[in-house]
Amino acid sequence: MSAEPSRGELCRHDPCFPAALAQMRGAPRVLYVVGGPERLERLLSQPAVAIVGSRKATDYGMETTRGLARGLAASGVTVLGALADGIAAAAHLGALEVDGPTVTVMPGGADVCSPASRRALHKRIGDVGCVVSEQPWGRGIRRWSHLARTRIVVGMAQMVIVVEAEEHPTALAPARLAEVLGRAVAAVPGRVSSPVSQGPHALLAAGARLIRGPQDALDALYGVGVKQAPAKKIPLTPSLREVLAQVGSGHDTLAKLAAAGNDAEETIVALAELELTGALVRGDGGRYLPRG
Amino acid sequence: MLARAQTFTIEGLQTRQVTVEVDIRGGLPNFAIVGLANAAVREARDRVQAAILNSGYEFPARRITANLAPGDVPKAGPGFDLALACAVLAASGQISNERLANHALFGELSLDGEVRPCHGSLAIAQATREAGLHALVLAPQRAREAGLVEDLGVVAARCLQSVVRVLNGGPGDAVTPASVPPRIGRGEMGEEWEQDLGDVRGQRQAVRALLVAAAGAHNMLLSGPPGTGKTMLAQRLPSILPPLSSSEAIEVTRIHSITGSLDSEELVRRRPFRSPHHSVTTAGLIGGAGRGWVGEVVLAHNGVLFLDELSEFSRSVLEALRQPLEDGRVAIVRAQHSAVYPARLMLVAATNPCPCGYLGEGERCRCTEADLARHRRKLSGPLLDRIDLLATVERPSASELRAAPVTSSQNAREQVIGARERQAARLKDDGVTANAQMDVHMLRRHMALDASGVQMLRKVQECGELSARGQHRLLRVARTVADLEGSRHTSKRHLAEALGWRAEVTLQSRRVA
Repeated sequence: MSAEPSRGELCRHDPCFPAALAQMRGAPRVLYVVGGPERLERLLSQPAVAIVGSRKATDYGMETTRGLARGLAASGVTVLGALADGIAAAAHLGALEVDGPTVTVMPGGADVCSPASRRALHKRIGDVGCVVSEQPWGRGIRRWSHLARTRIVVGMAQMVIVVEAEEHPTALAPARLAEVLGRAVAAVPGRVSSPVSQGPHALLAAGARLIRGPQDALDALYGVGVKQAPAKKIPLTPSLREVLAQVGSGHDTLAKLAAAGNDAEETIVALAELELTGALVRGDGGRYLPRG
Repeated sequence: MLARAQTFTIEGLQTRQVTVEVDIRGGLPNFAIVGLANAAVREARDRVQAAILNSGYEFPARRITANLAPGDVPKAGPGFDLALACAVLAASGQISNERLANHALFGELSLDGEVRPCHGSLAIAQATREAGLHALVLAPQRAREAGLVEDLGVVAARCLQSVVRVLNGGPGDAVTPASVPPRIGRGEMGEEWEQDLGDVRGQRQAVRALLVAAAGAHNMLLSGPPGTGKTMLAQRLPSILPPLSSSEAIEVTRIHSITGSLDSEELVRRRPFRSPHHSVTTAGLIGGAGRGWVGEVVLAHNGVLFLDELSEFSRSVLEALRQPLEDGRVAIVRAQHSAVYPARLMLVAATNPCPCGYLGEGERCRCTEADLARHRRKLSGPLLDRIDLLATVERPSASELRAAPVTSSQNAREQVIGARERQAARLKDDGVTANAQMDVHMLRRHMALDASGVQMLRKVQECGELSARGQHRLLRVARTVADLEGSRHTSKRHLAEALGWRAEVTLQSRRVA
């Protein structure tokens, strides 16, 4: 058992207070921090990226987010998010996979987990990262507090990446806030037929930066080619690589792979090996997804 | 005067011998039945009286006392009529006592003296032989069923007069007794099934999963969007299962004869297929609603229990399936009675992949991650732990629907029987017949993993997400895949296929919640 993480309050005029947030109009007066002000200062002294998106994310969105957050966290970028279901939770989970830096903002008190089903994730972020809120300890959630929380997430970030969101003012609120606050807006594309791809596609059409993976985000933060995302080190034989590529291009079930002209038996073995090496995961409905 | 007749009562699946004693003496005319008889037995009084008079015999207008011994066994059902009538006739000197002692009598009487068939004749016939009685007299409709018991005289009697003739040394009414066929070989199973696997188009993966499940008697779960053919596939499972062996057939016939769900007089050859509606209660599924009530799991003994729309079943009902799935029997204990019933069955369940049903169908599914988590939680735990194969049923494409079927039931059944024979030969010293029943020790002895298999298994263990039980399930299914192929060793490709069928969602440990 790890000890309870330290807690602290941080005034807007404290030198530890996140500088980006302090300059913002309507900045919170006090931040309540699980994990302690020192840790928050350390985490926000490096570039920070907010990953936001729909609660009704597809498994493609979830896997992409995990991979993106993992790559960024491994490169020393702090992943900011909102601990909601869907994309936000996937972002934190991805960062935690590599024990990377991550900060989450609560709509109520920082010690009040919302949604309650994310207790385990809330605790783990408090242990290795920071859970932040402008609301006093133990405060419940108000109707307005989710949007107010979003403003803090965006305010702490240098860049906001929208992974999956409907094209709807509420869903795209983080992007709008980012524009108002002068933060870079970026988006991850999806399938054009998916409702949760409409939001990111609209942002991309309006000039948001295209994010295909951690490297695009690093290029945006540091300049092109300055910092390299750590490459995945999964040694694969050419035949396995080919199956992986086919899965990535949409032949995501055994039936589809077999229909695409692969030998069924070899494909079964290939899928099992890819899953065992961690290059693939089996999603819901028996479909395989490349691990982001 | 006193007379005794022999009959049997059925409680649950057990039989108990009952002696019907009738005493006739002077006094006011009266007919009393004592000895823990239920309503159906007490009503026999009026039936017996009418039947005796309408058959042209005399019903003594004296004080008649009938006792059903032993007095502590509850007696139920209308099958006592015949024994009561004969004991009355013997006590009043209308038939001789000597044959009554070594004939068991079982049947209901109609008011005109006709002998009506009762449920459970096969069980009664077995009990008659065990009790060492000479013959069993019963309705002609049940004579073939009772004739399945070897070394037992079965006498059919159409009416009370025929019974009297038999008890006075005459012949019974003619019927042709059924015979127990010797173990049914491969060639003789060419019979037609209304529901053939050849009706299924596309679904190559699901059909393969069905084949593997049938070959090793593994429990399986079919998951897929509505209308893709989950139920259709499950209903075709009995057609590819090996036929019942003769001892299994007797067991099944006995159970279904007692519950009255037998649809012919013949021996049941097909494995039972039970598909209770999802509103079933625990007592309905397991048994124990009343004395001697057997549940669906018992009716599915040696066959298939199909649970359609698995997520709609109440959780407590699914929890109750643990014991039968683990032990192949159910022990029912109620305040007044307890019983152990056989329930060795193959569980097949079907479910939608998510609450709306359209997960994996592109953008049609609008379930949130939380909905999915709830759905998964509902299925996981008690039951998913006992599912060996998870088959995903997909919507077949238009070209697949036009294409030739993957296989026919005949074809698949031959493969299944071949695999089962290999298993039975290997497991003959262990007291089980199919791979799904192998315990840890048997697994160790019979897996015969080759080098590539060992290496693959080690990789699975290193991933760290599959529990020990999950690994055992994986090994059992891999063994079945190898058996289907006729391979002595279990190698990498068999394990790989079994991995593809596993029910666990993730292999890789992801460390955080």
